[in-house]
Amino acid sequence: MIRTEHLCKSYSHSSQYEIRAIYDINVTISKNSFVVFNGPSGSGKTTLLNVMGTLDRPTAGKVFLYGEEITPFSDIALARLRREKIGFIFQDFHLIPRLTSWENVAYPLVPRGIGYKERFERAKLLLEKMGLGDRLDHTSEELSGGQQQRVAIARALINNPEIIIADEPTSNIDEETSVQIRELLNELKARGVTILVATHDAMFEKVADVVFKMKNGRIL
Amino acid sequence: MNKHLNLLFLATENLLRHRAKTVVVCLCLIAILSPFITAIAISEGVRGQSLISVNAGADLYLTYDEFGRNAAVPLKYLDEIKKIFGVTRVVPRIIGRGFLQNKLAIIVGINQEDVPESISCVSGRLFENSHEVVVGYELATHFHLKTGDQFSMRCQQRKVFTVVGIFSSDSSIWGASMIFMSFRDAGELFGKQDVATDIQIHTLPGHNSEIATDLYDIFQHEAYRLQDKQMVSLYVKKGFMLKEGIFSAFYVVAFALGVPAILVASGFGLSERKKEIGIMKATGWQTLEVLELISMEQLLISFLGATIAILLSVLWVKSFNGAFIAQFFIAEITMLPRFTLPARFLPLPCLLSFFFAFLLTMVGSVYSSWRSSTASPVVLMK
Ligand SMILES: Nc1ncnc2c1ncn2[C@@H]1O[C@H](COP(=O)(O)OP(=O)(O)OP(=O)(O)O)[C@@H](O)[C@H]1O
Ligand SMILES: [Mg+2]
Repeated sequence: MIRTEHLCKSYSHSSQYEIRAIYDINVTISKNSFVVFNGPSGSGKTTLLNVMGTLDRPTAGKVFLYGEEITPFSDIALARLRREKIGFIFQDFHLIPRLTSWENVAYPLVPRGIGYKERFERAKLLLEKMGLGDRLDHTSEELSGGQQQRVAIARALINNPEIIIADEPTSNIDEETSVQIRELLNELKARGVTILVATHDAMFEKVADVVFKMKNGRIL
Repeated sequence: MNKHLNLLFLATENLLRHRAKTVVVCLCLIAILSPFITAIAISEGVRGQSLISVNAGADLYLTYDEFGRNAAVPLKYLDEIKKIFGVTRVVPRIIGRGFLQNKLAIIVGINQEDVPESISCVSGRLFENSHEVVVGYELATHFHLKTGDQFSMRCQQRKVFTVVGIFSSDSSIWGASMIFMSFRDAGELFGKQDVATDIQIHTLPGHNSEIATDLYDIFQHEAYRLQDKQMVSLYVKKGFMLKEGIFSAFYVVAFALGVPAILVASGFGLSERKKEIGIMKATGWQTLEVLELISMEQLLISFLGATIAILLSVLWVKSFNGAFIAQFFIAEITMLPRFTLPARFLPLPCLLSFFFAFLLTMVGSVYSSWRSSTASPVVLMK
C-alpha cells in the first residue's frame, strides 16, 4: 500500500555540508497493518513519516501509494490525497490556538462545504469517543497535554482516513492515557485503517505488526 | 457555495479571534482613509454649491481687466449694453469683502429690482431704503443680530446699517456670511461711485456671440473681460482641482507614513499565522482554499475599516465642521463665522476607498499568502 524506493531527505545548511535526515529508505507497508518506527532521537523518524505522508518532499527516491508514484504529484493533488486518505497526529499536537476543541476537530471539514451543525455533530461524536464530551467548548490552552493529544487524534479521524500517521502520539502523555491511545489505535486497525507510528515507547512493539528500527537516518 | 459560505464565516471568526490585529489594521485604515473621504466630501459639496449658483446666474459676466485680474467696470456704458439686441437684463453688482469686527463678511450690493427671486428670507424683509441690509444667518447668530438692530461697519467709509432681514440657514455657504444691501450703499461703503465689480448680462439663447461682437464695439478702447457661464463653471472646477491637488500633496506624506504602519500591523502575529496555515494544509486544506480564506478576511476588514472611516468623516464634517481639512477648500474658514459646511458623500469615492483599503490589506497579506502557496506544510508548521 505504501512503498518507498531509495528515499532520501537531506537538509543543506551551507553549500559545504548537508544533514542526511533519512537515507536510502526502502520499506513496504501493506494495507491494514500496524507499523512502528522505533529509534533514538534524531534518527529520522519524523522526517520519514512526513515524507511518506506527503507533508514534505524527498530530495531523492520515490514514494508509492496504492501502487502509484506520488512523488511527482502537484501540491494540489497532494492536498487532496491528504484530505481523502491520510490523518496526522503530530508530535506536539499542533492544535490551532484559541479555537475550542470541537472547532479544532472540525477544522478540516470547513473547506469541504459541510454545514455548521453537521460539523459540530461529527466533532462531538469523535470527542465523546475520546472521553472529552465535557470539553467540547474548551480552547486548547485550557486542556492538559493528554487532552490536547486526544483532540488532535479526533481531528485526524474526522475525514475517515484510510491511513493514520502518528508521530510520538504518547510522548507527552502519562502512562494511563498512553494505554488508552494504544487501544484506540488498535481499534482503528481493527476497522481496517493502516497505522504508522513513530515512537520511543517500547509498549508499541507489542501491538505492532511490523517494527522498523531506525538509526542515523537508516533502517536497520 | 456552502464551501464559500463556510470560509466567509470562518474569516469572520478569525478576525474576532485575532482581535488585536484586527483592531490595529482597522485603526490604520481609518487613519488613512477618513481624512481622504472627508476632503473629497467637502470639496464635492463646496464645488456643487458653487456650480449651482453659477448655473442659476447670468449668461455673461463683464468685468474690466487690470494686470490680468478682474477689475471694476464703470456704469456709464450700462444703457448702451441694455440696448444690444438679445440682451434681456443687465445687472450691475458690487461684491466685496469687509470685516464685521473680526469676522469676514461678503458684501453684496445690488439694485432692489435686480434681486434674484431665488433669495428668500427667514425673517424680516428685503431692503427697501438706504442703510437697510439683510444679513446671513451665521453672521446674525454670531453677533446676535435681530431685525431692527443697528450696527456700523467701516470699509472706506463708516456706515451705520439697520438689519431688516436675515437669510435662512439653508442658503449656501456664501449666503451664510453675506451682508446684502442696495447698490448705492455698497458703493458708498467702499468709497467708489459709478462702478460695479461686475455686470451680469442675461441674454436670449443663441445670441451670445453677436452680443460679444457688439460689446467689443462698445469697449474696444478698454481692457475688459467677458466670460460666459461655461467659462465661469470651468474656472470653478479648475480651482477645486488645484485645491484638491494641494490637499493630495499633503496627503501623500501622511499616506507614506500610513502604508508601512499597515504592513507592520498585517505582519503582526505572522509566525502564528504561518503555523496555522501549515496545520490547515497538513489536514487537507487546498492552497486555493487557504488563499480564499485570507482574501475574505482582508475583504471583511477593509469593509469594516472603510465603513467606520466613512462614518467618522460624516461625524468630522457634521460635528467638527471639517476641522483641519475644510481650510484647504475654503481658505477664509477661520475668519468666517461657523456655518454648516456643505459636504457630499458620493458613492464613488466611498467605493474607491473601500477598494483602496482592500488593496492595502491585500498587500499586507502578500507575504503570508505567498508562503502558504509555496512552502510545504512541514516548513510552515515549524
Ligand atoms: N528543518 C530541518 N533543517 C535541518 N535539519 C533538520 C530539519 N529537520 C530535521 N533535521 C535533522 O534531521 C535529523 C532527523 O530529524 P527527525 O526530526 O526526523 O528525528 P526524529 O527521529 O523524529 O527525532 P525525535 O525522536 O527527537 O523526534 C536530525 O538530525 C535533525 O537535526
Ligand atoms: Mg520526531
